[in-house]
Amino acid sequence: MAKRVAVIGAGMTRFVRRAQETGKELSWIAASAALQNAGIGLDRIDAVCMGTAPDAFDGVHRKGDYLADGSGAFGKPYIRTYVGGGTGVFVPIQGYYTIASGMADVVLVVAEEKMSSCQPHPQGAFLTIFDNIIERPLGPNLLWIFALEMRRYMEAYGLDKRDIAAVAVKNKRNAAGHPSALLGQADITIEDVLNSEVLADPVQRLDVSPISDGAVALVLASEDVASSLTDAPVWIQGVGWNLDTTYWTNRDLAYPQYVENAARMAYDMAGVTEPRKQIHVAEPYDPFDYKELHHLEGLLLFDKGKAPEAAAAGVTQRDGDLPCCPSGGLLGVGNPIAAAGLMKVAELFWQLRGEAGARQVPGTPERGVAQAWGDLMQVGTVVVMGTEGGPATTATRESQPPPSPRATPLSDTQFREAPGAVDDVLDATYRWDAGEAMGAFLEGMSEGRIMATVCERCARTLVPPRMFCERCFRPTDRWTQVPDTGSVQTFSICHVRWDMVPLDPPEIPAVIRLDDTSEGGFLHKLGEVAPGDVRIGMEVEAVWKDASERQGSILDIAYFRPRGGGS
Amino acid sequence: MARVIAGDLPVRFRYTPGVGATAFFEALRDRGVLLGSRCTSCEMTYLPARLFCERCFAELGADTECGPGGTLESFTVAHQGIDAEPLPEPITWATVKLDGADTVMVHRLLDTTAPEIGMRVRAVVRERRTASIADLEGFASE
Amino acid sequence: MPQAFRGITLRMEPRVGIVGAGWSGFAPTSEGISYKELMFEAASAAYADAGLDPRTQIDSFVCSSEDFEEGTSIFDEYVPDQLGAVQRPVQTVASDGLFALATGVMLIRSGLARRVTVESHSKASEVVSHGRVERMALDPVLNRPLGMPAAAVAGLEMRRFLHVSGWSQGDCAAVATRNRDHARDNPRASYADLVDGSPTFEPLTADQTAESADGCVVLVLAAEEVAGDGAVWVDGIGWSQDAPSLESRDWDRAAAAMRAAEAAYARASLAPSAVDLAEVDDTFAFKQLQHLDALGLQALDPARVNRSGGALGEGYLHEANGLARALAAVEHLRRGDGATAVVQSWRGVPSSSAAVAVLRTGAA
Repeated sequence: MAKRVAVIGAGMTRFVRRAQETGKELSWIAASAALQNAGIGLDRIDAVCMGTAPDAFDGVHRKGDYLADGSGAFGKPYIRTYVGGGTGVFVPIQGYYTIASGMADVVLVVAEEKMSSCQPHPQGAFLTIFDNIIERPLGPNLLWIFALEMRRYMEAYGLDKRDIAAVAVKNKRNAAGHPSALLGQADITIEDVLNSEVLADPVQRLDVSPISDGAVALVLASEDVASSLTDAPVWIQGVGWNLDTTYWTNRDLAYPQYVENAARMAYDMAGVTEPRKQIHVAEPYDPFDYKELHHLEGLLLFDKGKAPEAAAAGVTQRDGDLPCCPSGGLLGVGNPIAAAGLMKVAELFWQLRGEAGARQVPGTPERGVAQAWGDLMQVGTVVVMGTEGGPATTATRESQPPPSPRATPLSDTQFREAPGAVDDVLDATYRWDAGEAMGAFLEGMSEGRIMATVCERCARTLVPPRMFCERCFRPTDRWTQVPDTGSVQTFSICHVRWDMVPLDPPEIPAVIRLDDTSEGGFLHKLGEVAPGDVRIGMEVEAVWKDASERQGSILDIAYFRPRGGGS
Repeated sequence: MARVIAGDLPVRFRYTPGVGATAFFEALRDRGVLLGSRCTSCEMTYLPARLFCERCFAELGADTECGPGGTLESFTVAHQGIDAEPLPEPITWATVKLDGADTVMVHRLLDTTAPEIGMRVRAVVRERRTASIADLEGFASE
Repeated sequence: MPQAFRGITLRMEPRVGIVGAGWSGFAPTSEGISYKELMFEAASAAYADAGLDPRTQIDSFVCSSEDFEEGTSIFDEYVPDQLGAVQRPVQTVASDGLFALATGVMLIRSGLARRVTVESHSKASEVVSHGRVERMALDPVLNRPLGMPAAAVAGLEMRRFLHVSGWSQGDCAAVATRNRDHARDNPRASYADLVDGSPTFEPLTADQTAESADGCVVLVLAAEEVAGDGAVWVDGIGWSQDAPSLESRDWDRAAAAMRAAEAAYARASLAPSAVDLAEVDDTFAFKQLQHLDALGLQALDPARVNRSGGALGEGYLHEANGLARALAAVEHLRRGDGATAVVQSWRGVPSSSAAVAVLRTGAA
């Protein structure tokens, strides 16, 4: 039997738009606070687990190595794990198995993000997450994928934007009581959200969480030593994680199956058979307001498409039947990616101990779930925690309350004029090999043909093509040409560039499902159509560039237009 | 035929030095001195100054002037630059333990005639300073 | 079995075995093949070797990669399909592949999985200038403005190592010659012939520096109850981190490798004198000597060290280097060329961490 693992301390920085502290210093503030909360020193730590999202935020290659000293790893076993935006809830899972495997008894878990280093806007880092061959040439903006997913979700279940906006209002109000919060706002209304600037329809500015700098840390201990360190352990009862296919344009974005898979793994381990009864507080991932709802459904806490009306009815309020994001979530506290995820686990710890202060949910919650999400709408990470048989009401023997969260915000002027500041650019260049499958696909593009591969075993036609079938795990059997016509699976009307500079006219990214394929298609743009006329399900056709201009690129298709000619 | 796609990661950065190194850079710019941080419990002085001790996690101040004299700990004669391109003139890089510090600083070794590990060197501070590691020209024999 | 190590209770149950190994590439370039196709080829070979279907018989998947080496941020997005890992638990460690192996061992010992796939690859030929990537691993404020290549750290380390250790330039040259000689019998080796001995970062020379190569290694791990008799057991594993900054790290020895080895030996209840063969990091020739010192293997017959030819012979597979060493050790042990092997990795300049594994054949 694996050892049981408890959380015995938590700490965090303030989340700020732009911190004076380096990522190392932010990590140290959070880790020190967690140790203080646990009532132990760094000498008690056997191993350190680090979580931090892309190196392109902090601008440091091998960012995990760079952050090792700030996270207390000097002379200790130290691993940085990484599952994109899901990292913050994954890193306590790493802590869990480091202890449960017998490799360590006391572990420091740290998550950090310093997004403000990335210039001119942290969104720039997200330009580099898309497929290097068939997506990046389109100039995709991170808002696109959220807008595409949000529209698909709304369309599939006939959702009202007003119900979704209730999440942004709830979380920003909840955050008003959080000492670390960047964007808490006690008086925000649904009208404020609905009237905020449209960025990438249906996404508006107040639907989105703010990018931030910050760090969060936990102290985990095995059951062997937890009892000597605390009277109030909060047990990690279940963990789960799950990654879906890279080919996100081949999936129906209406439902996060990978979150359900991760939740089922965690619930099974925790012995949770009826999550709606057995989960008393939830911290679903909320980088955008609709995401909280999407994830609550994936966590099996609401039926598909039913979370929005529950949110609008107050069920997920701090004093509702199922309090969700009592911390204020990413929408309110801030979104330093990995740190924000771990903040959710820290919030469960404080809530289950009854130490959440102004944010404390009523009653005596005995079990909670935290969840994060990431990659190309692809990964779910889930942690279930509980007090196991009764409220933990006493403070730890040596523990102190978490110190007032630190981190020093820099103004624009201070940032510009900071002594010793260094400007730099990642000037590395690459020569990516398209390989056999994409090489043939690009060859086809230059000839005005869309080529697909076929797996005879599962009878699927695959676009983008690959030399292997990911479902059957076997080589694909043959090539075939597919029509350059299809239907719009989802779309957005995007009014801003990646760096938030307005776009006029707007651009219309869409996921096109090609005819005669199995879920096959890709990301592209629509043209020759008024933004107001675009509909999901609309039949479209490729508009090819002139043969002389084609280069063997996704851009050999200029855009897709309504079938039979544009409007 | 292999199809090769040229690409990059077009991301720019502005790094501020943080709490610890800001004190170091301000002291270097304003007074031409090298400021470190003493951890009394670890009996260790870090140079440049730091906010915390990486060994015991104590909070540190920028409280200990080090150098300008020091000891050469190691050196390498570089015949290549960042792209592995041959350099017109070799550059000598060095690690130096400045007096009073328990850590090394990396910089250029300016006079390269027969350096030896253990030899005495000194930090050469530029006249015009901007709060940068380049406010040091490098190390020269004492 | 030792019961405690630095206060940590040592638990060896269940034993974890390597039950499948596969590879692809191991060449200076892999033209016409994408990284996905390279991974699919190695994974297919590993699953065939293990006799397992990843879609139904593997519980968890661990990859290792770094974004800037791939040229893609959040690279973990791009791994599941070609490993048979779609809608399964998948994670990436931003480290060398031996840290991914350690992660796989923990997943099994914690009861979260019974079988785990561990993957690591290099598409180094796609990076136009590795120096521009490595530079980004230096402190952005204290080091980078100097314009010093990260590779210069190897020259600084080597000079210091020769000064404090008693090893000589000639000893380092002999390592390069011997490893390339070993590589002649290895089908994965691309660099059996010595390159020129011109100085790069003195005292370092070009022929004492491993050249980059492309390749992928996939290992399949299993808990004892499902592993079968032929497994190569991971009886000890350890990993450690020294100070990351150039300023405060230990310049006199491979401190992280020492601590990692101490933990791995304790977990395996093994004395260095009982080691039959070693596959250690030799990204630079002097590193092999420094790492053997750290592992307490100074007395091991040089003919038993990096019999594969190491990275000097096979090529430097960047984050896949540790798994390349592990793969070679698995092959030696399967051939009966010894019963106990030690594998060690280091992430190259300017890193200061290390991982060590003790591999064994036979009953406990």
